[in-house]
Amino acid sequence: MDKKCAELWQTLSAALKPQVSADTFKRWFSSLELVECSDEVFTFRVPNNIYQYWIESNHMVALQGAIVAAFGEPRQVKFLSPSESSAELIPEEVDATTKADGARSNKAAGTTLGLNPRNTFESFVVGPNNEIAHAASLAVAQTPARTYNPLFIYGGVGLGKTHLMQAIGQYAMAKKKNTKVIYLSSELFINEFIDAIQHSNLVRFRKRYRQADVLLIDDIQFLSGKERSQEEFFHTFNTLFDGHKQIVMSSDRPASEIANLEHRLVSRFEWGLTAELQPPDIETRMAILRKKARTMQIKLADDVFEFLALRIRTNVRRLEGALMRVASFASLSGKELTREVVEHLLKDILQEEARNAVTIEQIQRKVAEHFDVRLADMTSKRRPANIAFPRQVAMYLARELTKASLNEIGDAFGGRDHGTVLHACKQVKKRMKEQDSIRQTISFIDSSLQR
Amino acid sequence: MKFSVTKEKLLEGLQQVQNVVSTRTTLPILSNVLLQADGNEVHVTTTDLDVGVRGSFEAEVEKAGATTLPARRLFNIVRELPSSDIQIDVDGKNAASIRSGQSFFKILGLPEEEFPPLPKFEGAKTVTIPQKSLRDGLRKTAYAISTDETRYVLNGVLFSFKDNKLTLVATDGRRLAMVDIELEFPRSHEADIIVPTKAVTELQRLLTDEGDVKVSVGSGQIAFDLNKTLLVSKLIEGNYPNYKQVIPGDAKERITLERETFLNSLRRVSLLASDKSNSIKLNFTKNNIDITANTPEVGEAKESLPVQYKGRDFSIAFNPEFLMAPLRNLAEDEVFLDLIDEMSPGVLKIQTPFLYVLMPMRISA
Repeated sequence: MDKKCAELWQTLSAALKPQVSADTFKRWFSSLELVECSDEVFTFRVPNNIYQYWIESNHMVALQGAIVAAFGEPRQVKFLSPSESSAELIPEEVDATTKADGARSNKAAGTTLGLNPRNTFESFVVGPNNEIAHAASLAVAQTPARTYNPLFIYGGVGLGKTHLMQAIGQYAMAKKKNTKVIYLSSELFINEFIDAIQHSNLVRFRKRYRQADVLLIDDIQFLSGKERSQEEFFHTFNTLFDGHKQIVMSSDRPASEIANLEHRLVSRFEWGLTAELQPPDIETRMAILRKKARTMQIKLADDVFEFLALRIRTNVRRLEGALMRVASFASLSGKELTREVVEHLLKDILQEEARNAVTIEQIQRKVAEHFDVRLADMTSKRRPANIAFPRQVAMYLARELTKASLNEIGDAFGGRDHGTVLHACKQVKKRMKEQDSIRQTISFIDSSLQR
Repeated sequence: MKFSVTKEKLLEGLQQVQNVVSTRTTLPILSNVLLQADGNEVHVTTTDLDVGVRGSFEAEVEKAGATTLPARRLFNIVRELPSSDIQIDVDGKNAASIRSGQSFFKILGLPEEEFPPLPKFEGAKTVTIPQKSLRDGLRKTAYAISTDETRYVLNGVLFSFKDNKLTLVATDGRRLAMVDIELEFPRSHEADIIVPTKAVTELQRLLTDEGDVKVSVGSGQIAFDLNKTLLVSKLIEGNYPNYKQVIPGDAKERITLERETFLNSLRRVSLLASDKSNSIKLNFTKNNIDITANTPEVGEAKESLPVQYKGRDFSIAFNPEFLMAPLRNLAEDEVFLDLIDEMSPGVLKIQTPFLYVLMPMRISA
């Protein structure tokens, strides 16, 4: 036992003692030796096989719990019997989520599940952009499988999908101890599925997922094009749904827009409640920044908050990153934060944001593509109805999505005057009110432009 | 080879050996039974190369000889035959004609020479045990054998011959069952061997309450000679873990229980133990145990059992299946449950040298 391991083992022993009875500790743990201690793996040398068998079968939850208590995160635990030299170590993987049965493992499971303890409902900033998704998630967490099943959350990058999912998982688990929550990304699901096929233990794979009380699948769009995984997921879905278990999924786009996804899955995903997360508005962004600043215990002037909220619009994660960068600069350099300093600090992020802004040209191209007219028709003088209307739509969108003035828009559409543009906007708005199909078409183009 | 036999005798003979035959096997000869007719009896032998069984039945042998026939098929035919008198006639090409009443069957076998011979045990160390003791001992331990194939040394029963005692041990890591049988044998015969599950199961079927069994231990194999039948098996290689480590120290409380009553209560209450947590709680108060189980969203069960108990009030939870298994397999009326506290293993004992260690489950609030 080298010195570092000896120290770690002492820390761990101290954490372990209250978890098991004195006799258990003396009998099973006092004669263990920690021979290898990396950030991932702890290897213990046992005097005899019986130690390994007995600890694995009975005290793994306590041991993992102590590891988490002492070091903050779980480690893989391996055992080494005296006959084996450390070179031919037999990995005896013990995954607290699979080995220990549900009721007893929840304590350790909270961390091994990959649920970030910071992602709770309390730390989620609610605004008009996400209140439906938040309310639905909360309802689901409070009474799983009663209200909205399945719950389908979608929205762009960094808008809080994962946050909400994890909050559901943690809330459900905290509320009722025996609730078996499984959280994973669809990519992990696919990998485990492939692994199960390879080692032909599909039965275990199925058992694992079909026993969940709450199944949370993140980034479901990755199922796209994976036919067998889709089929497997389809059956898992049905089993859980029929057993009145809660299913929550997230995706970066609506289910119907996920390419290569079987229709039976799409229709099932849309079965329960579909909630969209939209980019936060300026007030919500301010609130997010203030809340984040409070939890990170940093103080910034109001105009810095405002500047950040104003300039970074699309993505909460980026917003938090910017805040972090500004805050760390402030604490490291001790300089006062002026607008110029902040702008300089964040210039790459701000540039990226600016690049995401929609241009009139993009709008014209998208609209032309959608209505199947030539791009040249956008600027031409011809005005049969089948060209004029798309042109008006494009003008309307340019007015809504860009900061360009009426004159600038008019110029971009073949030197039309500002009155024409204004008329086009009015016309489109009017027709949107009258015809649902037009409203849908336009909001579809709008959302595909913003992605 | 030609012999006549009654249906009952033939069935009995085949039943002794047919369990060893495995249904899927890469070697076709292993699904056959070896028949050897000689004198006034026919020997039957089957093997799967790990375990082999040899039995016999009485018959009127007209022509001595030997052959092998598909075991399962032969058994199915014999079971359905209409009359009690059966004649079996095997020609030089191992084709067997079976006649009984109006029925006639012809089944094709394989030559005797292809059948792997059972290992010889010349000069092996032999110990004689009363069949009844061994049968009883295996019954009390075999249910605790581990089925986890990664822990292969636990996939059998430990036979530990030591200090004029045979100790049988089985454990799966959560519980451990142990029986001592008093025996006399020379010091030189002391040994620790692990008999695999399949051999234990077969042995339990063959053992009776009468007579002795001669146990011969060779290198890597063991033979159980039960007078009329013989079972040989490979042993599990490796060292059985030090099971004594598991047995807890002195108990704080000893509760005497009526086995049947306790078992029946457990069986009833366990109907409401959930699959997931699968635990059953014993709440001890003065002269009483409350046995409870509950499954969220299903319901709960509770049963009180009056007992002699004067210790402090406390609760301990067990896996109901693990607690019931020994109770089912014991014959005694009275069992003792020794407990220390809610975290330490419980021990079940009876008047004779037997003990069963069972880990408690964590009580979730």
